[in-house]
Amino acid sequence: MATHESTVDLVEGDVVRQFARAAVLAALIGVLGAIQIPYPLSPAPITLQVLFVFLAGLVLGPVWGTASMLLYLAAGAVGAPVFSGWEAGLGPLLGQTGGFLWSYPLAAGLIGLVVHRGTDLRDPASVPLPIVVGALVAGTVLVYAMGTGYAAWLLALEPWEAIAGFALPFIPAELLKMAAAIAIVTSGRIEPVQS
Amino acid sequence: MLSYEPDGTLAHRLDPRSKLAIQIGFAATALAHTGLRALAALSVVAAVVLLVARVSVLEALYAYRYALVFLTLAPLLAAVTFGSPWIDLEDGATSARASYRVLLILLVSAAYVRSTPVRASRAAIQRTIPGKPGQLLGIGVALVFRFLPVLQADLRTIRDAMAARLGDERSAVDRASTIGILGLSRAFDRADRLALAMQARCFAWNPTLPALSLSRLDYPAFAVAVVLALSAFL
Repeated sequence: MATHESTVDLVEGDVVRQFARAAVLAALIGVLGAIQIPYPLSPAPITLQVLFVFLAGLVLGPVWGTASMLLYLAAGAVGAPVFSGWEAGLGPLLGQTGGFLWSYPLAAGLIGLVVHRGTDLRDPASVPLPIVVGALVAGTVLVYAMGTGYAAWLLALEPWEAIAGFALPFIPAELLKMAAAIAIVTSGRIEPVQS
Repeated sequence: MLSYEPDGTLAHRLDPRSKLAIQIGFAATALAHTGLRALAALSVVAAVVLLVARVSVLEALYAYRYALVFLTLAPLLAAVTFGSPWIDLEDGATSARASYRVLLILLVSAAYVRSTPVRASRAAIQRTIPGKPGQLLGIGVALVFRFLPVLQADLRTIRDAMAARLGDERSAVDRASTIGILGLSRAFDRADRLALAMQARCFAWNPTLPALSLSRLDYPAFAVAVVLALSAFL
C-alpha cells in the first residue's frame, strides 16, 4: 500500500484565537444584515452592520479587523446570505452597494490603526474618548465616500444626486451607531485578545 | 433567499473557478458598456446563464429586491433637476441604462450562488490564493457559513429577552448598544471555544483538501470568460 508522509505545520495559538474571533464576527455581521430596521428617511430598511464594522476595528485591531471584513466579503461573494437583506453572490460586491462593502475592510483597518496606534492591541476602553470619536468619524467618512463615489460612477449620477440618494438620508442613523459603538467600548465589557 | 440547491445542471457540473471567471468576465464587460446594443447582448448572455443554472428570473429578482429599490431610484434622482425643465429625461435614461447593467450583474451572480456548494467554493479559494492567506480565507469562509445559523439563534434569544423586559421601549442608542455588547460577547465566547477546539484538533497550515479537477466542460467555460472579459475593450 502506498503511503504519503508529510509534517503538520500547526497554526500559532494567538493567531488561532484572533482568527476564530474574526471569522465569528464576520458571521455576526452577516446575521445583522437580516435584521432590518424600518427607517423613515429611506425606501430600503437599514441594518446595524456598520456598527459591527466599527467594532471590528476597535476590538480586533487593524490586522484582524481587516481580515474579518475580508472574510465577510469573501463568504458573501461565494453565496453566504450575509449582505443586507439576505443578499449573496458576487453581484452585490460589484453593484450599487459595492463601494460600501469594499470600504468595510479599509474602515475597520483605519479605525484599528488610529485606536490601537499600530498592530499591538490595547484595551479600547483606556483610549481617550476624542481619539475613539475621531477614528469612528474618519471610518464613517471613508465608508460613505467610497460608497457614494462608486454608486455615482456606476449609476451615472451627479455627485450631489448620489449624496442625496445614498448618504444624506443615513446620517442620523450613522450618528446613532457611533453613539452605540462608544457606549459599547466605554462599558469595558468586551476585551481584545492581548498577545 | 437564494442559496445552493443540489441539481444536475450544466452549471452545477462546472468547476467553481470557471464559474467565478465567467462572472468576472461578465461584470468587466457590463461595467464597460452602457449602449443599447451592448445591453441587449448582455441580457441574452445573462438569460442563458440563468437558464443553464435553472434559476427563475422572478426568484432572482425577488432575492435582490432591496437592490432593485436603489436601482429604480437612481434614474429618478438623475432625471430630477433644480430649475427648468425640472425633469431631464436624457440624464435619467443614461442612469437607467447604467442601472440595468447592474441588475444583469446581480442576476448572473445568482446563478453561481444557486449552483455552487460551500465546500467547492472553499476549495477554489484555497487553490487559487496561495499560502497562508488562502488557507485562512478558505477556512474562514467555511466558518462563516457554519456560524450563521448559530449566531442567528443567539441574536434571536437576545432580542426576545430584551422584548420580554420592555427593552423595545428604550432609546435607539440603548437598544443598539445592548445588542452590540451581548451579541459580541456571546459571539466571542463561541470564538474562544472554537479556537480551543481547533487547536485540540491540530489546526494546521497544511490540511488535506477535496480534489478539484477541470473537466472537458470547463475549457469552453473559461473560453467564454476570456471572450466576455475581452469584449470590455470593444
